[in-house]
Amino acid sequence: MSRLADAWHTGFFRRAMLEAVIVGLVAGAIGAHVLVRRLSFFVVAMSHATFPGVVIAAALGLGVSVGASAAGLVVVILVVVAGRRSDVAESTVTGVVLAGAFALGVVVQSARAGGARQLTAFLVGSILTVNNTDLVVTIVVGAAALAIVVALHKELVLSAFDRDGARAAGYRPLVLDLVAMVAVLMAMVVAIPAVGTLLAIALLVVPALTARTITDRFVVAMVLGAVLGAVCGGIGLAVSTMWRVAAGASVVLVSGAGFVVALVVRALIDAVRRRAVVQSGELRSPVGSPA
Amino acid sequence: MFDIVLAPLRVAYMRRALAECVLLSMLGGMVGVHVVLRRLAFLTDAVQHAVLPGIAIAFVTGTSLLAGAALGALAAVVALVVLGWAHVDRDAAQAVIIATFVAVAVVIVSRRRGYQADLTALLFGRVLTVRRDELVQTAIVVVVSALVLAVTHKELVLLAFDRPSAIAFGYRVDVLDAVLYALVAASVVAAVRSVGTVLVVAFLVTPAATARVMIDRVGPMFVLAALLGTIASWIGLAVSYDASINHGMRLAAGATVVLLMTLVFVVVVATRSIVGRRRHVLVAAS
Repeated sequence: MSRLADAWHTGFFRRAMLEAVIVGLVAGAIGAHVLVRRLSFFVVAMSHATFPGVVIAAALGLGVSVGASAAGLVVVILVVVAGRRSDVAESTVTGVVLAGAFALGVVVQSARAGGARQLTAFLVGSILTVNNTDLVVTIVVGAAALAIVVALHKELVLSAFDRDGARAAGYRPLVLDLVAMVAVLMAMVVAIPAVGTLLAIALLVVPALTARTITDRFVVAMVLGAVLGAVCGGIGLAVSTMWRVAAGASVVLVSGAGFVVALVVRALIDAVRRRAVVQSGELRSPVGSPA
Repeated sequence: MFDIVLAPLRVAYMRRALAECVLLSMLGGMVGVHVVLRRLAFLTDAVQHAVLPGIAIAFVTGTSLLAGAALGALAAVVALVVLGWAHVDRDAAQAVIIATFVAVAVVIVSRRRGYQADLTALLFGRVLTVRRDELVQTAIVVVVSALVLAVTHKELVLLAFDRPSAIAFGYRVDVLDAVLYALVAASVVAAVRSVGTVLVVAFLVTPAATARVMIDRVGPMFVLAALLGTIASWIGLAVSYDASINHGMRLAAGATVVLLMTLVFVVVVATRSIVGRRRHVLVAAS
């Protein structure tokens, strides 16, 4: 505990805490859209596919977010276009693009001299080295992503649940798909410096899934996901400081633990409710029966 | 040019790497076609990430990587089944498994000092350091998979194209599913050491997806997928060898192979969509 208290007095830790909370909040809210559109595999693909962008950007001396966004946009287009053009399923194309893009990153990385340490930072994040510029980028991009999903809330939800209905209502589902994917991409790019490419998946899926386990209403799930994401980000960072494990990994494990707790509680509540229904049914049926 | 292609055959470790890649390509042809037909790419990806903690533990304790990977795959399958009981959406469950298993692996590995190099070895594999006994293990997986697939071929293909009929015919669909998932897990475990956890999906999905785009018949699809994988492996290894030996440019061997596979897929999809469109135009005109 005292290690945590000591850390709190340092600037880098407070910046890291702020970053973790904001990233968790944005990803948790966007995650509701990921789940309802079944974009989980797309998120996984994105997390791998932004990797070559990050490597190439590092080689050119550009920022991580720039490279990640550029590569991410290419992947969005590839998955959407190739998925419509070819005979194979969209998930298959996603798998191909995922592996190919990651291989490109590895090849570029291997051609440059000595980058194992750098590589690890991309993969698992290095939240404690977040600087003020990173924080500002996180806040601006995160706010923009949230603004997109809030402004287009009705259209996005309609097209996710009822594509044909959305088309009949005069919307273009494909454009809305792209908008949703871009919002996911923005949340992803924001999360990469903090928790790394491999673990950003978790923040976009797990808190939202926990929220879905608790409530069935979309808006409530979105708000709850944001809160859970922020809380998991904060607690995860605290845990990582106390026990000296990688920050990204401990954020993910805290979110995972939260999900398991929610699942178990949900299962118990369901079991109790079912028993109550059965018992009340037994009590009622003799009264209602003519005998 | 010819020399570049033949160069890998002259060095012992390149011969072993090539042999491993050819074996994996055969596996990719057999199991991969089913993965593509059944749309199991995401499952493959989930399993390949799930083997990470097992491998990490084996790495730290110095026990067999194969046993560690098998343990990880088993844990992932159990987690998937449990989440399925809890009515968690399949896609989301797989994403949760990927994230948490990777996180566990990172924690385990990060307890060791100087873990960066270890982590990269886990993720990207070391195809050039494949040993003879590892080749034998991969070959065993190939033979067993071939036998299992030969016995269940008709049922699995029926299941892929027409699940309700398969159920109506009285086949044990859940058992067949389990057989296929086990084969996917075994392939991932076999391939993980040499190409690393992140690129396994390429061997299992990319050549098969390319073959699927090129032809419609299932039998030739197996052969074509294995052939495409083998060719990409050979050229990829040759290119990465030539670049590092003669041009002083280090290209990661496994990743170069995967990159070539992807390139072939992109070219085939592009050609197919142009040719296919022309065919549609001709049909419409006649």
